Amino acid sequence: MKLQRTRTYECMCLLDNREVRKGWQPLKDAVTGMFTKHGAKILSSRRWDERRLAYPIRGQHRGTYLLVYCAMDTQAVAAVRRDMQFNESIMRSLFIECAEVPQTAYEPEAAFDVNAIPSDDAPPVVAPEPVAEPEPVAETPTES
Amino acid sequence: MSNMMSGGGGGGGGGGRDGGRDGGRRSKFGRFGARRREVLPEEPLDYKNITYLSKFVSANGRIQSRKRTGFSGQNQRMLAEAIKRARLVGLMPFVGRM
Repeated sequence: MKLQRTRTYECMCLLDNREVRKGWQPLKDAVTGMFTKHGAKILSSRRWDERRLAYPIRGQHRGTYLLVYCAMDTQAVAAVRRDMQFNESIMRSLFIECAEVPQTAYEPEAAFDVNAIPSDDAPPVVAPEPVAEPEPVAETPTES
Repeated sequence: MSNMMSGGGGGGGGGGRDGGRDGGRRSKFGRFGARRREVLPEEPLDYKNITYLSKFVSANGRIQSRKRTGFSGQNQRMLAEAIKRARLVGLMPFVGRM
């Protein structure tokens, strides 16, 4: 007997900007389609931010975050997570169980112009300058 | 001198059992006996709130200890979990400063 339990989940997806530039709404629909394919009910899905990454992922220095709140069966989480790992446009995903959906998630999404995304021209990594250590003072033997 | 040697006899039992200057017993209180006041987080310990989380990360990217943050055990675990989640999705670096 399979136990059916529905929980509310928060899913943060990091999307590749190269795919985002092709069109935001089709990509968003494709991601939310992964949830609905496994019987999830989308409570909210909105763009969280487009920002510079703390470290390059798949050669990209910027990415767009999509925050999805959904109610789904606990057994389906693994299937959705596996689908996201196979998808090339999703660089990272994070699933968290949450008690309730915050009110900010229901606010209308701000207009997003994909052409206004800054190019991924990351400055070259500059190695930190080595700190010059003071040379140890050579002790001269005192001749007595 | 005789006091220092008294605990070491009889197969290492006594105060020096766990090593250390105080015989392995570390006081939960401060040096002068005052209980350390617990610090409460000023903002929610969420992985999206990286401006607040970055206050508890050293220049090398290491999570500060509970002794430095002053958080309770539960809040310290929530802090560590939030920082690790932020690292996973590329919001915070694993090593180094942002």
